[in-house]
Amino acid sequence: MESNWAADNLRIIRTLMERSAIYRRALAPLMFLAGSLGTAAALIGWFARVESPRAFVGFWLAVAVLTIAGCFLLLRRQALRDAEPLWSTPTRRVLQALLPALAAGLICSTIALFKLGAAEQKTATIVGLFCLPLGWIVFYGCAVHAAGFFMPRGIRLFGWIFILGGCGLFALGSPEAPRPPHYAHGVMGLFFGALHLAYGIYLFCTEKRKNET
Amino acid sequence: MNPEPFLQLDRVIHEKGRLAIMSLLAASPQLAFTEMRDTLNMTDGNLTAHMRTLQESGYVSVTKEFQGGRPLTTYSLTAQGRKAFATYINLLEQIVQQTKSTK
Repeated sequence: MESNWAADNLRIIRTLMERSAIYRRALAPLMFLAGSLGTAAALIGWFARVESPRAFVGFWLAVAVLTIAGCFLLLRRQALRDAEPLWSTPTRRVLQALLPALAAGLICSTIALFKLGAAEQKTATIVGLFCLPLGWIVFYGCAVHAAGFFMPRGIRLFGWIFILGGCGLFALGSPEAPRPPHYAHGVMGLFFGALHLAYGIYLFCTEKRKNET
Repeated sequence: MNPEPFLQLDRVIHEKGRLAIMSLLAASPQLAFTEMRDTLNMTDGNLTAHMRTLQESGYVSVTKEFQGGRPLTTYSLTAQGRKAFATYINLLEQIVQQTKSTK
């Protein structure tokens, strides 16, 4: 009897500490949304021939804004469903952790968007279609890894995949492909599309299992 | 069964509402009054009363400041509060273990 309430108290303490410290929103739907938009954008960019470096940067910035807006709406829906505040302490911490790396990526992209128009064709292609996409991947990996300190385990590994993948492709160098835009859209689709979908499936299976137990 | 751990439980923390407050604060460097009220579904009066008890025991410190022209009250655990909370959890674990071993 005495042990029951003691165990209950310990369980309550654990739940409350998690609620206070760990970001608990279901990430699988967010990953599915981001992955679907990333894959669709890569296909659209590829087949609609979004090929000039400036158009490429503008196109993917628009996709990023759309994805962020979609994720926000999903999070809001989850918070309303659980009758919890959207702007909770864990949410604030996660956003604060995400912000520096994402802001750096946004600032670099905006500068590139303005400067690429005046740059030589070859320079613009290398910067816009090779350096920037890989930079985005690395920045995004850093952001996810930083946010991972306030999220369930596993997300930091996801961040590392982006960091190492982006750096690895950078080390391999710009391919002598006949169509650099295809390479750029392909890389973006792989990292921001396929990888998110794969992680979404993994999370969906593990979160479902956790809910069942 | 040895009643010793039960008798040692800190009565200030053992109350349900204050235990919840201590748990939230133990996992966070500081929390605003409104955040705790919303998370714990407590009324302003209830939370204020519990916070006063915890402050008087030296377990919680309060900071009052203005943010964007509006008053903001934040709370955090003191070193004494953190120690008392850790002791409380240890005692609970002892009680659970003791019962398991006597079964």
